[in-house]
Amino acid sequence: MSRCWLALVDGPAHGADAAAPARTLDGQPAGTLAAWNRAAKPVREAVRVDGRLIDPRGSAAWISLVLAPSGVRLAFDDLAVQYARRLVLLHPFAAAVSTLLRDDSHFEGAITVVRCAEHRQRLRDDPFARIFPSRLLAVQAGILGALPPPTGPTIERYGSANPWPWDQFD
Amino acid sequence: MSDRRAGDGVVSPDAVGELAVGGQVPNFELLDHAGNRRRLSQLVGGDPTVLHFYRGWWCPKEQAFFRRLLALQDDAEVAYSRILSVSVDSPEVNAAFRAGLGARWTFLSDADRQVQTQLRLRETTDTLNDPYVPAVVVIGPDLRIHAVYNGYWYWGRPTVDELVKNLREISRALRPDWEAPTP
Repeated sequence: MSRCWLALVDGPAHGADAAAPARTLDGQPAGTLAAWNRAAKPVREAVRVDGRLIDPRGSAAWISLVLAPSGVRLAFDDLAVQYARRLVLLHPFAAAVSTLLRDDSHFEGAITVVRCAEHRQRLRDDPFARIFPSRLLAVQAGILGALPPPTGPTIERYGSANPWPWDQFD
Repeated sequence: MSDRRAGDGVVSPDAVGELAVGGQVPNFELLDHAGNRRRLSQLVGGDPTVLHFYRGWWCPKEQAFFRRLLALQDDAEVAYSRILSVSVDSPEVNAAFRAGLGARWTFLSDADRQVQTQLRLRETTDTLNDPYVPAVVVIGPDLRIHAVYNGYWYWGRPTVDELVKNLREISRALRPDWEAPTP
């Protein structure tokens, strides 16, 4: 089960294992993107993420951060979420992608990471942004790494407690 | 074609090149369709995998066989099984072909033909393209070959049902909870 938590917080990210300031694409401060490796949820808004995506030595990146609106939840196995995962496999893979979870059965959002300027445009066509709103952010170095693209064509999670595309049973 | 038999795998009359049932595919490293260097063992991970060597995008037989794999894809996406396709085409050509097909698995480029040479899979009758001889192997996480299909003549290629049977057999051996837990 993934023990890695991610949150975009307004204030300082107390106790985070990795953190970096985030800005909107027009340069406005957007908080701090932070990650924690621990069993317990570190802050109220934290969601579980594929831990391979977090790297304190990672360089600056652009992200599409898709988060479910407050009070809204969607089953992870909903057809819309399945279809978004298919599209991620179909399209050129970003530097990293992870769905975001709080529990074992709901889709709470996704993070897509790109580094190459010519790939930044792809964030505007994030398949997960068809489900919940996306924020496009520039994140400084110190938190986001890279993931190998999934082999495909698996869209299932390897255990419901793990985010997709984590690709092996524990 | 000789009838090769090795290990505990399925007997197949259609061993091809160095690929034979019970043997092991070398843990080669190639560029994927996005230009990333990928190692076979990492791509296979812990799942049964269909490893497919094909001539190139231009071959009508390959285009027809890909339609079979596309049909399998819809099952494989929920069955913890993987598909890999290998050709001598460049990553850019593979990316375009993959996108046109609607394939959601990884394509690998052996443009310098090192793996093709290692596996003795060059189709000697086509001296223009020097492509792979069409072949499909079904392997487990240890890269051991469970089944092999020689696709030089089209009817030598596996049907979807045959691939499902192979994937089922590997999964049965691989998954400790294959026997469903019941009261």
